[in-house]
Amino acid sequence: MPGKNLSVISICGSLRSGSYNGIVQRALPALAPEGLMVRPAPSFSQFPLYNADVQAASGFPAAVNVLADAIRAADGVIIVSPEYNFSIPGGLKNAIDWVSRLPNQPFAGRPIALQSASPGPLGGARVQYDLRRAMVFLDAFVLNKPEIFIGSCASKLDEKTGEIKDETTRNLIKQQLAAFATFIDRVAVKA
Amino acid sequence: MADKQLDVLVICGSLRKGSYNAALARSLPALAPSGMTLRAAPSFAGLAVYNYDEHQASGIPQVALAWADAIRAADGVIIVSPEYNWSIPGGLKNAIDWASRLKDQDQPFAGKPVALQSAATGLLGGSRMQYHLRQSLTSIDALMFPRPEVIVTFAAKKFDAATLELTDQPTRDMIKLQLAGFEKFARMVAAKG
Repeated sequence: MPGKNLSVISICGSLRSGSYNGIVQRALPALAPEGLMVRPAPSFSQFPLYNADVQAASGFPAAVNVLADAIRAADGVIIVSPEYNFSIPGGLKNAIDWVSRLPNQPFAGRPIALQSASPGPLGGARVQYDLRRAMVFLDAFVLNKPEIFIGSCASKLDEKTGEIKDETTRNLIKQQLAAFATFIDRVAVKA
Repeated sequence: MADKQLDVLVICGSLRKGSYNAALARSLPALAPSGMTLRAAPSFAGLAVYNYDEHQASGIPQVALAWADAIRAADGVIIVSPEYNWSIPGGLKNAIDWASRLKDQDQPFAGKPVALQSAATGLLGGSRMQYHLRQSLTSIDALMFPRPEVIVTFAAKKFDAATLELTDQPTRDMIKLQLAGFEKFARMVAAKG
């Protein structure tokens, strides 16, 4: 059982203000169990595309360090992302690529949970499996189950009110967040 | 057959000047069959991270349009890319994401023959990146060339440390085989319109 207050951050893979995945991200705090605080991560929207020459000449952009610091300070990270072209959105992958180059790489040993929403029937499953693979290299601990694939999301998420209308989806997210809190307790590096 | 020259575009997934993959891309013209002309794609370096709101407000950036135009104009595309964190470099994927948002009739990858190559210093040679790229380009209906695959493992041993010239003969032979196969593949696709 989670015995202390846990603070996790959520990263949304879409930058669109009306994003379905943004709706899910904003719904998380209300669905989290007691003792699990969820707040949004700093944005990666202004990251330049990764170039090792730029890194060598100018170091890491300030925004990259801000995101990496937030990941390091968090007890866990929830990534909520759409699927772009059957895989990870380039912008999100670029953010991961930048922070992966830092010393004290922030995802190492970090508990991660994945969620995705899409209007199609698979609900973004392919982005999640590609993210899982990248997270293996980064030595993150990715929660196995329950998985959250919000398929046919246009009927489940209310774009006007920003609410998750679908009770089944809300319950599944509650279950995942509870499982994530337990998982964090189990895998957290003991101080 | 008096075929016209096959015009093939080469996209490099790394923006680093000293990149092994850029070096691999530069090695291709010398290894290509006589009927194939290779040219480097315009850079995607200045592209912003994809944001649908910006897309709606300002349209698709010039850099992405020029990149897509070059792909559309080519008879085939060869993507030569490193693997970042066991997958596609975010910058390259972001360029694909931008290009995929063009109108249906302007989709640059639809029906386009595409071959993949990768180099990495490790023993898997960037293969994980290639399989993700195959999956992603399937979504935008590219015609993926099956094999031979070009997966350059232990890249530091296969390029000259000073000149970055590709010196490993078996690798050069494999690239020749792939390019010859890709020429046939691309011509077959072109013949069927």
